[in-house]
Amino acid sequence: MLKLSIDRKAVRHCAGISRRSALRVGAGGLISGLTLPRILELQAKAALPTGAKAKSCIFLFLEGGPPHQDMWDPKPDAPSEYSGPFKAISTNVPGTFVTDQLPLCSQMADKYTIVRSHSHDDGGHTTGYHLLMTGHKAAFADGDNPVPNNAYYPSLGSVVSRSLGSRGPVPSYINLPHPMAAGGPGFYGTQHAPFVIDADPSQPDFAVRDLFPSGPGSSSRQRLRNQLLSGIDQLERVRNHGPAEVLSKYYERAYSLISSPNAKRAFDIKEEPDEVRQMYGHTQLGQCALLARRLVESGCRFVGVDAPGWDVHFNCFPSLRTDLIPYADRAFSGLITDLERRGLLDETLVVMMGEMGRTPKINAGAGRDHWSMAQSIVFAGGGTQPGRVIGATDEHAAAPVTQPVTVNDVLRTITTLLGIDPDRVYWDPLGRPVPVVADGGLIENLV
Amino acid sequence: MCSLLKKPLFLAVLWACLCGPGQLLLADWQVSPHQIELRHPESSQQVVVGTKSSDERSLDLTRLVEFSFTNPEVASIDDRGLVKPLSDGETELRIRHDGQEQLLPVVVTAWQQIDSPSFYHDIIPVLSKAGCNSGRCHGKAEGQRGFKLSIFATDPEADYQAIARDGIGRRVWAIAPEQSLVLLKGAAKIPHGGGKLFAPDSELWQKLRRWIASGTPLDETTESPSPREIVRLILEPQQVILDGGGSQQLQLTAIDRAGERHCVTTMGTYESNMESMARVDGRGLIESSDMHGEAVILARYMNNVTVCRVTLPQVGVTVERAPEHNFIDGHVWDKLERLGFQSSALADDATFLRRGFLDTIGTLPTTEEARRFLTDPSADKRSHLIDRLLERNEYAEYWAMKWLDLLRADQRKIGAQATVALQRWLRRQFRENRPFDQIAYGLVTAQGNPQMEGPVSFYSTLEKPEIAAREISQLLLGVRIECAQCHHHPSEKWSLADYWALAGFFTGVKNKTVPGFGNVLLSRGGKDLEHPRTGETLPARALGAEPVALSDQEDRRRVLADWMISHDNPFLAKTIANRLWSHYLGRGLVEPIDDMRETNPATNEPLLEALTQHMLDVGFDLKAFTRTLLQSRTYQLSPTTNASNASDMQNFSHALQKTISAEVLLDAICQATGVPEEFNGWPVGYRAIQIWDNRMPSYFFRVFGRPIRATVCECERSDQPSMSQALHLLNAPEITQKITHRHGRARRLAEQIESSDKILEELYLCTLSRLPNQKERDLMSAAFSHHQSDHRAAAEDILWALLNSKEFTVNH
Repeated sequence: MLKLSIDRKAVRHCAGISRRSALRVGAGGLISGLTLPRILELQAKAALPTGAKAKSCIFLFLEGGPPHQDMWDPKPDAPSEYSGPFKAISTNVPGTFVTDQLPLCSQMADKYTIVRSHSHDDGGHTTGYHLLMTGHKAAFADGDNPVPNNAYYPSLGSVVSRSLGSRGPVPSYINLPHPMAAGGPGFYGTQHAPFVIDADPSQPDFAVRDLFPSGPGSSSRQRLRNQLLSGIDQLERVRNHGPAEVLSKYYERAYSLISSPNAKRAFDIKEEPDEVRQMYGHTQLGQCALLARRLVESGCRFVGVDAPGWDVHFNCFPSLRTDLIPYADRAFSGLITDLERRGLLDETLVVMMGEMGRTPKINAGAGRDHWSMAQSIVFAGGGTQPGRVIGATDEHAAAPVTQPVTVNDVLRTITTLLGIDPDRVYWDPLGRPVPVVADGGLIENLV
Repeated sequence: MCSLLKKPLFLAVLWACLCGPGQLLLADWQVSPHQIELRHPESSQQVVVGTKSSDERSLDLTRLVEFSFTNPEVASIDDRGLVKPLSDGETELRIRHDGQEQLLPVVVTAWQQIDSPSFYHDIIPVLSKAGCNSGRCHGKAEGQRGFKLSIFATDPEADYQAIARDGIGRRVWAIAPEQSLVLLKGAAKIPHGGGKLFAPDSELWQKLRRWIASGTPLDETTESPSPREIVRLILEPQQVILDGGGSQQLQLTAIDRAGERHCVTTMGTYESNMESMARVDGRGLIESSDMHGEAVILARYMNNVTVCRVTLPQVGVTVERAPEHNFIDGHVWDKLERLGFQSSALADDATFLRRGFLDTIGTLPTTEEARRFLTDPSADKRSHLIDRLLERNEYAEYWAMKWLDLLRADQRKIGAQATVALQRWLRRQFRENRPFDQIAYGLVTAQGNPQMEGPVSFYSTLEKPEIAAREISQLLLGVRIECAQCHHHPSEKWSLADYWALAGFFTGVKNKTVPGFGNVLLSRGGKDLEHPRTGETLPARALGAEPVALSDQEDRRRVLADWMISHDNPFLAKTIANRLWSHYLGRGLVEPIDDMRETNPATNEPLLEALTQHMLDVGFDLKAFTRTLLQSRTYQLSPTTNASNASDMQNFSHALQKTISAEVLLDAICQATGVPEEFNGWPVGYRAIQIWDNRMPSYFFRVFGRPIRATVCECERSDQPSMSQALHLLNAPEITQKITHRHGRARRLAEQIESSDKILEELYLCTLSRLPNQKERDLMSAAFSHHQSDHRAAAEDILWALLNSKEFTVNH
């Protein structure tokens, strides 16, 4: 009798959990901190139903601080101690100029957009890195810090991993060719840490650690091992709940990765024809960019490539001319060309940046020092508007004069392009709400 | 009024007589409140109608009964039982249900004399309810889009300024209140990043509108403290037992300083600690899922908090009470009986052995230890094992490692020598089993040279008095007062004043160079701190305690330490008891373990009380306390669940699986394979749990999550598996080298033992601390037949498979 009357008034909501409360399931809020719901949360995704184009992001990080004025923001009219030795050349987009060190990119300026007005106020390497990857000032001093250095705030890659999850057997968040200094998961925990390919794909002996069995040589013996292990799994007494259940899930994913020839091929850069490898350049950055393309093709969501060597304090122009800029020019142009040929450019967001720019005026050692007040970022694909230049710096390339762009603008733009709600909140272990991106707006004219 | 109250009883009796046998008998139904007075145009009163079934289940009838008014011009009621005023006058609310009727007098005096609304008392709640001042919106430190409010309305004057004065006055417009930006944005009439927070004409909208139309008054009273300040909340019901798919409407009443009651059901904010079990909406309606257990609903209004406990018992389970080893079991069984969970069976000897070793000393039993224990026929062997484990060296080493994490012993921050000094001190405390209150006293009052054995370097990471206050408070008192550094704790009574008064104890801490002793840490003098907003001096004061005179104190920290370890201190014993419980049982009774709050009750309050008392009774003897835990049947239960308790994760009806920490797992792999790890710069034979250097590079530690020792929170150690971990265990060359090492176990067994069956037994003992069962023997025989005479290869393959089994990698 009672039951009937309850049904009559439909007290119970069967329509499912609202989005807001779904986000809070297991999140803990202020009065818990459970482990079980975290498991459930592995399934809960935060994709925006907005038809975001970008499915993955390739993030090329030129670590050390690439000189914006020697690459993307030439100042030919400035005195030579500011402009440097490189000339401005026109690109295939009328009115857009880059330096003559970017000949390949200059011929395809209609495929990407340069943001020249990015700036922030942290001139340290590890602290600046932390700021860019998390949107938060580092709580530590610049210098030799642990890697990853994000003790609390998660990196952009971890945010992407947590919010989007994987779309294939390949891990959702990968770092190469070593861990990014600020690429860690912070309070998100190890399951959102990057899968680190700690090897240089431009080397002939390149191999991904732990991807292939290191044990018995023969395949029949490996089959035996797998048979024993799956037998144990079936008899397993302790897999029904808790960490064993979660670990089982990861084992399943690890299996599907190492047992799927297709997935493993994603890591096998040697499959690429020479011509393609050439197109990216036989450099660490070039081959990392190529490997990144293979990885996103196989479902990785965020590949962070860390390309060190850009901290050019002394006598910088020879190395910029012969190594650094040409490598970046080739890697970036090769990647864009390749993605476009394969029809992947629309669904792959490519971002190339460093933790800062470099000083407007050339120093006494013929180099440039740290300068975070102006920096250029290059965006391509993933639903961005190509062929544009956004913002401008002053006559010395020292500070933005139009449309200044902040770190959080960049993070908000990237997450939004990937279909992640930047205002989504995750709860930290203290029960405080931590939004994906704390502030900022979308970069106008880019999205 | 009196006649009204008598009527339902009569009707209930009549109704009960009319119902035949076999029908569900409702003894009676009650209505709360007994009368309704509405004194403001936007006031409302939640009516709750309920009854209890014969087995104490709560039945909320609020949305089932029929409501009507004798005079419908005076007030209205919606289908969820919320009464709102329409015009001044008197009427009666008629409530009908199943042939019974009750009448409630209703008086509306909202328009006779309209008080002008107050920003403090009327508008701040609107901003909080709509979430405007939350940490994700305008309450952020930097505000949002140029509009900044103080988080949780910590600073009402600044909020008033922000709304009523800043932004060129465009946020409020008294001439055309509806055109005010706060209303247009809040109702999403114009684009608003925060979305639509209230509907036009809704209660929140109306309150804001009338306030704006009245000329945005700040406050109508100059008395301080204001008689309208809310001092207490009453949430009804406070406890509710629900069936799966049940629901319960809450009623939230705020009492102000003058003693007046205000129904704030629609203005409070609610939160569930277990949304998977019980959800609560913005109007205080709880809905339960089909899961069983307990949830807590937190209600918050104007810096006050209160809770309602929701019990979701499993029906139709006859719980058989297992024997009790000690007082712990009695409390656990009580709870299980109430919830309808049957406890699992006692774990077998092998499971107990492995669990006891890993939990107590972070070390796997050796083959010999396992064999000896498994074949020991004596009845009290578990008890003896517990005693022996507590006397092992590894006990001190393992617990020193855990506490190095908690004490933030990051060698790069405090230096290698200081880390070693702290490790030595910790080992001595645990080895000598120094009472925990003394350890705590030593920590709080540490002084001297941080490079000499002692806890001084703990202070090296506590750079400021307020940091010392909050870290020590979280670590030793289980109070996360950190929130109150900047704003009133959102779910506790702690205010900024409490926080800064506590910090006052640490203002004398300084570093000094003393001839002959080098750089030493001292605490001399010190001063009381100021309230960061009001500037008022706050005499040093412990949490919930009275201020103390400190002028003649040399080291003010001693006053705090004395308070901490005094036996009427409610925090210290409870926190360490809960911390140990969580370590051994896999989940704190209070969770997170260092977040003790009235609004975060233990899943088993009587048990936590009893454990706290026990900690006091044994004089903070950690070994004695641990012995009690391990001897309980609850600790010794099997992880295998039964039909009734599979879903139970908080009441200890079965053993919970625990992640094995990175160091312990590496040591276990080394011990099982018989090949020690060579740590860079350390003598061979050093085990991972012995290493103080938290920065030692190690791929294994990186992947398995070693804490970087940045906080005093145990949560820093990640207990979450990852794919990199699985890949590493499956494929890593480092592990392969151990499996195939020429001095390793696989080769040794193959060379020394003839029988394949015996080899298999050894392999099971060294990894899983048990013998294989028949099915496993059958399975593993495949390895021996595959490799024919090559026992070494077979042993390697079996060892590889065992190291990758969940039974090995998880503490169960």
